[in-house]
Amino acid sequence: MKSSSKTIAAGAAMLGLVAAAWPVAAHHSTTMFDREKFIVLEGTVKELHWTNPHVAIFVENAAAKPGIPDGMWVVELTSPGNLVRSGWTRTLIKPGEKVTVEVHQLRDGSKGGGLRKITLASTGQSFNYNIRDQERPNLEGTEYK
Amino acid sequence: MNKLLSTVLVGCLALTGIEALAQPAAKPKPVINPPPVAKDWADLAKLPDWSGVWNPKITDQDAQIKTNMPPWTLPAAEYIKFQLAEERAGRPPPLFTNCLPEAMPAWMLVTHNSMELLFTPGRVTMLGESDGARLRRIYTDGRPHPEDPDPTFHGHSIGHWEGETLVIDTVAILPQTLIAISEAAGQPNNGDMQIKERIYLKEKDIMHVELEITAPKVLTKTWKTTRIFFRQRARLYDIVEGVCQEGYFRPDKDKHGNDIFVAIPHAVGGNREPPK
Repeated sequence: MKSSSKTIAAGAAMLGLVAAAWPVAAHHSTTMFDREKFIVLEGTVKELHWTNPHVAIFVENAAAKPGIPDGMWVVELTSPGNLVRSGWTRTLIKPGEKVTVEVHQLRDGSKGGGLRKITLASTGQSFNYNIRDQERPNLEGTEYK
Repeated sequence: MNKLLSTVLVGCLALTGIEALAQPAAKPKPVINPPPVAKDWADLAKLPDWSGVWNPKITDQDAQIKTNMPPWTLPAAEYIKFQLAEERAGRPPPLFTNCLPEAMPAWMLVTHNSMELLFTPGRVTMLGESDGARLRRIYTDGRPHPEDPDPTFHGHSIGHWEGETLVIDTVAILPQTLIAISEAAGQPNNGDMQIKERIYLKEKDIMHVELEITAPKVLTKTWKTTRIFFRQRARLYDIVEGVCQEGYFRPDKDKHGNDIFVAIPHAVGGNREPPK
């Protein structure tokens, strides 16, 4: 796979930004995730980072498939505030839970991506979010239970 | 005779001068923000009801990338074209990954987060979720802009009410703040920017923010755009603390068992570096 690091560095330089790859944080566009398709991870939640501006779920993927390596993956979501308004709570997904996760993978093929949907093996419940669905006034909101 | 008169006059002026030196000039009184009186608080009740939490119409932000592009200068247009191509290619330019405030006018233009507006005597305060420092102070007490204000992320804003419309004029905005059209495409204003806004309720629970952005270093003429926000009253929509820099870190324990933050790596685009 062609590395995109040189292109990114060139782009950052053109933008007049510091090209150092670390540490820059977090408030970002999501087009580094391939939204045209998704992959499926099956495994165990190791950590949940309920932090701004993007929550992250660390999943140990046990189901290695072609192009989908096993091991630890990091799956990013929107902010805690936007998730709460979508019905999430910080205890909705707990470390240790068995899950199936649909992920828009990073375009460079590495073990990260954006969440499409997460399903708990214990209950069969699925969770996702779409902040563009909230474009109406006086929403009542419903918490996931 | 004339010579004698001149001598007397010069003598008098000299004495006056000595007198002036002997008594130091009165110290000018500081300009204060007077304590509000009951009427000031009562007058707030006559203003339109802007309470609640306001979330943005993101799909309209997206649409205006195609329908209402700012009138960029040629270099700015090239810059934006490059950024949009990078974003489409999956390499979003890291405009806000440094977690500095989205600032003006990008906050109003491309935020994905909520805001609230507070009225107090002589001032409207806008508080936004995320950034940790997303705050605008709009003085409505009749003061002018300072003669030489220090540039800031949100500039110096003065406002007045025209009926139920808040009219705001903002200057002294840092030249680095972005005229952003998405989270990955934006042009630094490069200085001398002025923003005029008219904020009002288009419908009972729909707020319009009309902006006129004049930025002579990067725009060929004033750019007009309207951004839309929806009112939410359910407590589920209450604004929560949003400290952007929190994303630099992960919660962990030190060797003493104390709860601490530990820095974690991120990719250029701002996402967490995936595990190897």
